[in-house]
Amino acid sequence: MAGVQANRLANGGLIDRSVSLNFRFDGKSFSGFQGDTLASALVANGVKLVGRSFKYHRPRGILTAGSEEPNALVELRNGARREPNTKATTAELYEGLEAASQNRWPSLRHDFMSVNQLFAPIFVAGFYYKTFMWPAKFWEAIYEPAIRRAAGLGRAAGVADPDHYDKAWAHCDVLIAGSGPAGLAAALAAGRSGARVILCEEDFALGGRLLSDGGTIDGMPAAEWISRTLAELAALPDVRLMTRTTLFGVYDGGTYGAIERVNDHLPSPPEHQVRQRLWRIVAKRCVVAAGAIERPIVFAGNDTPGVMMASAMRTYVARYAATPAKRVALFTNNEDGWRTVETALGAGLQIAAVVDARPDVSAAHRSLASKGGFPVLNGSVSAVDGGKDGARKISVSLTGGARAEVEADGLAVSGGWNPAVALTSYHRGRPKWQDDIAAFVPDGAPPGMVAAGAANGAFGLGACLGQGFAAGAQAARDAGRSGKAGSAPVAEDGAFSLTPLWHVAGKGKAFVDQQHDVTASDIELAQREGFESVEHLKRYTTLGMATDQGKGSNVAGLAIMAAVSGKSIPETGTTIYRPPYVPVAIGAFAGHHRDKNFHATRLTPSHHWAAEQGAIFVDTGLWKRAQWYPRAGEKDWLESVTREVKAVRSGVGFCDVSTLGKIDVHGPDAGAFLDRVYINTFSNLAVGKARYGLMLREDGMVYDDGTTSRLAEDHYFLTTTTAKAGPVMQHLEFCRQVLFPELDVQLTSVSDQWAQFSIAGPMTRDLLRELVDPAEDLSNEGFPFMGAREVALRGGIKARLFRISFSGEMAFEISVPARHGDALVRNLTQAGAPFGVTPYGTEALGVMRIEKGHVAGPELSGTTTAADLGLGKMMSTKKDFIGRVMAGREALVAADRQVVVGIKPTDKASRLRSGAHIIPKGETPGPGNDQGYVTSICFSPTLDQWIGLGLVERGRERIGEIVHAHDPLRGEEYDVELCNPVFYDPEGGRQRG
Amino acid sequence: MAEFSWSSHSPLEHALATGVHGLRGTEAGVSLTEIRNFDLIQVMARRGKWAELARAAKTRFEVAAPDGPNAVQAKDATLIWSGPDQFLVLSKDGNHAMNTLAPAFSGLASLSDQSHARALISISGAKARSMLAKLSSLDLHPAVFPVGAAAATSIDHTSATLWRGGDQPDGQAVFNLLVFATFAESLWHTMLDAGAEYGIDIRYSEELA
Amino acid sequence: MRIVCPFCGERELGEFTYLGDAKPQRPAADAGEDAVYDYVYLRDNVAGVMSEHWYHGGGCRSWLKITRNTLTHEISSVEPAAGVGAAKVGV
Repeated sequence: MAGVQANRLANGGLIDRSVSLNFRFDGKSFSGFQGDTLASALVANGVKLVGRSFKYHRPRGILTAGSEEPNALVELRNGARREPNTKATTAELYEGLEAASQNRWPSLRHDFMSVNQLFAPIFVAGFYYKTFMWPAKFWEAIYEPAIRRAAGLGRAAGVADPDHYDKAWAHCDVLIAGSGPAGLAAALAAGRSGARVILCEEDFALGGRLLSDGGTIDGMPAAEWISRTLAELAALPDVRLMTRTTLFGVYDGGTYGAIERVNDHLPSPPEHQVRQRLWRIVAKRCVVAAGAIERPIVFAGNDTPGVMMASAMRTYVARYAATPAKRVALFTNNEDGWRTVETALGAGLQIAAVVDARPDVSAAHRSLASKGGFPVLNGSVSAVDGGKDGARKISVSLTGGARAEVEADGLAVSGGWNPAVALTSYHRGRPKWQDDIAAFVPDGAPPGMVAAGAANGAFGLGACLGQGFAAGAQAARDAGRSGKAGSAPVAEDGAFSLTPLWHVAGKGKAFVDQQHDVTASDIELAQREGFESVEHLKRYTTLGMATDQGKGSNVAGLAIMAAVSGKSIPETGTTIYRPPYVPVAIGAFAGHHRDKNFHATRLTPSHHWAAEQGAIFVDTGLWKRAQWYPRAGEKDWLESVTREVKAVRSGVGFCDVSTLGKIDVHGPDAGAFLDRVYINTFSNLAVGKARYGLMLREDGMVYDDGTTSRLAEDHYFLTTTTAKAGPVMQHLEFCRQVLFPELDVQLTSVSDQWAQFSIAGPMTRDLLRELVDPAEDLSNEGFPFMGAREVALRGGIKARLFRISFSGEMAFEISVPARHGDALVRNLTQAGAPFGVTPYGTEALGVMRIEKGHVAGPELSGTTTAADLGLGKMMSTKKDFIGRVMAGREALVAADRQVVVGIKPTDKASRLRSGAHIIPKGETPGPGNDQGYVTSICFSPTLDQWIGLGLVERGRERIGEIVHAHDPLRGEEYDVELCNPVFYDPEGGRQRG
Repeated sequence: MAEFSWSSHSPLEHALATGVHGLRGTEAGVSLTEIRNFDLIQVMARRGKWAELARAAKTRFEVAAPDGPNAVQAKDATLIWSGPDQFLVLSKDGNHAMNTLAPAFSGLASLSDQSHARALISISGAKARSMLAKLSSLDLHPAVFPVGAAAATSIDHTSATLWRGGDQPDGQAVFNLLVFATFAESLWHTMLDAGAEYGIDIRYSEELA
Repeated sequence: MRIVCPFCGERELGEFTYLGDAKPQRPAADAGEDAVYDYVYLRDNVAGVMSEHWYHGGGCRSWLKITRNTLTHEISSVEPAAGVGAAKVGV
C-alpha cells in the first residue's frame, strides 16, 4: 500500500511533498510526507482505527491533533527504544518509523478483550475497590496480574534505554510559553524592548493555531506574518525560539521546567547527541501564551472512530492536507466550530449536516449551508453508531423533541474552548469561571507570570495579538528593559457565541475521559455514592488521571458533576493542578546521572596505582577505595585480607587513608574553638603533637571522631571520618559563624591537598628510614607516639609525619601534597621491598581496628554517647563544649545503657555476624530481654577466630559472661562470650614501641 | 640508599587524552585545556584585619584584592574571590607560593596551600557556554558574567570556582574552572559527555592563561 | 527556589543546605539543662514567615539567616550570620 495516500488532498498543507517518508503501523507499510505527524499520516492513509481503550477495549480513532490526545497512543520504535503511550498526534513522522497499536490481542481489529464491553455494567467507577477486596492475599497473586494483562497501556521496552539524555540551565528576562499569535506577539514586544527572550513551543513548527486556522494579520496572510515575524526575531541578539520544547512545570523563584525533544523526530539520535534534554529555565518574567484546548461534548458513542474535535479536523485538512472523512457532520455549540465547515468545504469535502445546539444560527451560516447544500439542524447529537470501521450514522435530537438521522463517516465536535490554565495554576492557583466563554480562566498566577491570549480566555485573533504584545512589552519593562516595543500587530476578532452544552442524554456509553474510559454515568454514580468533591471524584473514577491529565475531559466531567449535584460549575470547582503538563521521561530527569555517572566519584591519589595492582574497590560514599589486593592463587577475599593483616602485624604494610576529611583550623583562637567543639581539650596540645578528639552533637550523642594535630601555635590540622568529612565542615562553619562569632578562627578544607598513607607494622621505622632524610630522628625519643611534624624525604620534598596508629601496631601516617601521592605509593613500594611491604585495603584496616577495639561507623551510630564507647573519661569537666549539657541527661548516663564490649563465640570455629541480638543465656529471645546487638565483626587472623564488637547492656561490667547471640534474620543462634574490646595488645606496647 | 623521584602527577593525567573528543569533521565547538603545576594559596583575612590585608595585598600585587565575586589579574598572579574576606592567589614558579606569601600576610590572614587540591581547566570555544549550561546553574551571559567575574559555585553537587579570564584574541570568552582534585577525573568525564556533541579540542598546558 | 546570597548573588536552591529555625539561641554555659533542652528540641512549626538558618555550602560557605514564608516560599530577607565578615569588624 505504501505510496498511496488515499485521503491526501492534491494541494495545500504545510507538508513537504518532495520528501516522501515510509513508515509501518501494526506491520503494514504506509507513506507520508515530511511535516506530517504519525497521526496526520495515518489520516492521509485512511487509517481510522488506531487503538483499543483502556478498560473496555473499545475501538478508538484519532480525536485531537495535539498533546491532549487521549486515544491515539502507540508504541513507537522497537526493541530497547520501544516507547509506549506515545501520542501519534505529536510524534513526527520520519523515514522508517515503526509504530504499533496498544492494548489489543491478538490484533487491533480482532481484540479478544473487547468482550469486556459485554461486562460493562460491572466496570463502573470504583470497580477495583469494590470487587477485589477479599481475600487480601489474592490481590498480589491473582487479581493484580490479571488486571495488568487486561487493562493498561503500552508495554515498556524492558531493557535499558540505549539513548542519552541531558539537562541544562537557561536564563532569560522573559520566558514565553507558546508560539501562537499571542506568543509570537509577546516575543516581538519583549525582544524589541531589548529583553533576553526564550520562547518554548511544543510543536515542531512555530505559529500555533495560525498554522491551521490562518487569518489576516497586519493586512497580510497569517503565513506571511509568521515568516516576517520569525525573521525579525531571528535578527534580535537575545531571542531564542525553542521548538519541540514543552514548558511542563513552574517552580519557586521563577524557575521553570521544560522538556526538549531534541531528536525524537529521528529514528535514533545522531552520534554524540541526546534524545531529549530537560531544561531548567530561570526567568524574571513569564508570559503564558499556551492557547486553549477545544473541549468535547459527551454523548453516546462519542468515542467512535471518525468522531474528532472540530479544530483537529481543521488541522488535518488545512495543515496536513489530509482528510479524516469524506462526508462530515459538525456538532457545535459555538461559532468557532463553523470554521471547520468552511475549511472542509474549501477542501472539497462533503458536509452531511451541521448540528448546532445554539438557538440561533447566523444568516451568513445559513446561506453557507444553502450554498453547500447541507441542512442545519437545531439540536444535539444524541448518538453515533458505527464500530471499528468508523462512524456511520449520527442520531440527532432536534430542539422541540423530534429526531433526525444523518449519514456521515466523520463528525467534528466543538463544545467550546478551555484556556490552558495549568501553568498559571501550578502554585495551587484556582482558575475562575468566566460566563461568556463558559470556561475557567486564570485567576492570578505565580509571581512573575501572566497569561495572554486564548490562555487568558481571549479567543479573538486581534485580542490574542494585542494581549500577547502588551504582556511581552510589560514583562520586558518589569525585567528592567526599556527599549521601544513599537506597535502591536493588528487583526480582527471573529465573533464568538456559545451556548454551554456538556452532555447529551442518550442510550449507550458516553465517554468523558476517553483515555481512562470514564463515562458520564460513572460520574453520576460517584455523586450518588457520595464522591461529590472534585478531588474525590477524580480519584474514585480516575477522571483526568491518565497520561493526558484530563486536558480535554476535566471540565466536562466537572460540569456533569455540577449538573447532577445541583451546583454551579464554579461551585463544584477544579482539582489542584500539578506538573508535569506532559509526561516527561524519567531518563530526562536523570540526564547524565545514570549507570557509572549516577553520582560523581572521588578517586584517591593512589587510585590508578591500586588499579594496576588489581585492587578490588568498594564504594564508600562517593569514594572508590581499595578494599583488598588479591594475589594469584588466593581463593577468596578472606584469604587476601588475612594475608594483608598478618603482613602488617608481622612486618609492614601501607594503606591509603586520604579519604579522611582534613581541615585546616587557623587563627589565634583556634585552640579555644576546638575546645568548644571537642569534648576534650586542644588548647593545651603542644605544637608538634597529635591528639584523638571526639565531637558530640548538641543532643549529647557522639557525632564524629578523629585525630587533630597542632602544627603551629595558630594552626591545627583536624581530621574527620571519611563519611562525615562534608557534614563536619558544615558543622564547624556553623560553630564558627553562628555560635561563636567572637572567635578569631578560620577554616579551610584541605582534604584534597594531601595524599595520606598509614604505614603500620613492626618494621615501619625500617621502611621510613629508607624514605625519610637520614637527618630526621624517627626514634621513640625523637618522634614519640602522637608526635606530628614536617620531615624531609629523600629526593627533595617535604612530608608531614604523624605517629598515630589505628591498627595497634607501631605506625605512622605520612602525607605529601596530593600530586606527589602517586610517587609516594610507588616509593613506599620500592622502599619497603626489602621488608616485604604489603599494601592493604579497607577490609584489613577494619579487621585491625576491631582487633584493637577502636570504634568506627557501626558504633558511631548517632545513638551512642562517649561513655557508651568507653570514652566517657575524655569529657572535660573544666569547659563548655557542644553536647555537654545534654550528654548529662539521666537516660544518657543510666547504668544500664548498652556499651561497647568485645564479643567472641564460645565455639572458636563458629562464625559471628553483625546484627545478631544479645540475650541472656538460657532465656527465650524476645523484645523484653534484648540486651543489645553485635555491631562489627571480622575474622581475626591474629586470634584465629571470628571476633566482634557489640553494644550490650552493662557490657563492661559483664566481661567473661556467656550470653546468647540470636540472629533471626539468618536463622542462627550461638553462645558468645563478652570480653575486653581490645583483643590485641591491650597494654598498647606495640604502638608505643 | 636509593634516592627517590617525586614526580608530580596531575589528577587529570590519567583521563586526559589530547586531541578531539566527540563530534569530528568540523571545528571543535569547545576547547578544554588543563593547566598543570600552579601554586594556589587560600588567603582568609583574620578578625578585623581585612583593611590591613587589603593594603598588604595591594603592595604585593599592585592591584586591589577582590572583595566581591571577581577575579583580579595582577602582573604575575590572579586573585580570585572565594567567599567573604577570602580569596585565592593563583600563580606560577613559586612567585607567590606558601613560603613567600605567608610572611607577607603574617598576622593578617590565615593561609592554606591548595596547590595540589584543585585541578584547573580552561574552557573556551564557540559552544563553551552551551556546554557549561549543562554543568553550571549560573547565568554566563556576557552581560551578566563579564570578563573578571568570578563565582564560588557547584558543579555536579561539588564545589567549584569559576571565573572569566581575558577574552582570546578572536574575541571568544575564556572560562576558568577550579575543581577539587579527587573529583576532577569524574567531572572531566562529565564535561566530555556534555561537550561531545559540539566536538572538544583537548589539550594541557604548563602555562597560566 | 532561588536564594539571593548577600555575597554571591542569586543562586539556585541546590547550592544551599537547610538547617532550620534560626530563633533559638545557644544558651550560656551555666544556663542549665532545661534551657539547653529547649534550645535543642523545642521548635515552632511555623506556617508563615519564619527565620531560618541556611548554609551556602555549594558556594561561598556562608551561613545565612533567611526570612522565608513557609507557605509561599517567598523570601523577604537574607542576612549573613553574625560571624561572617568578621575580618571587617571594627573597620
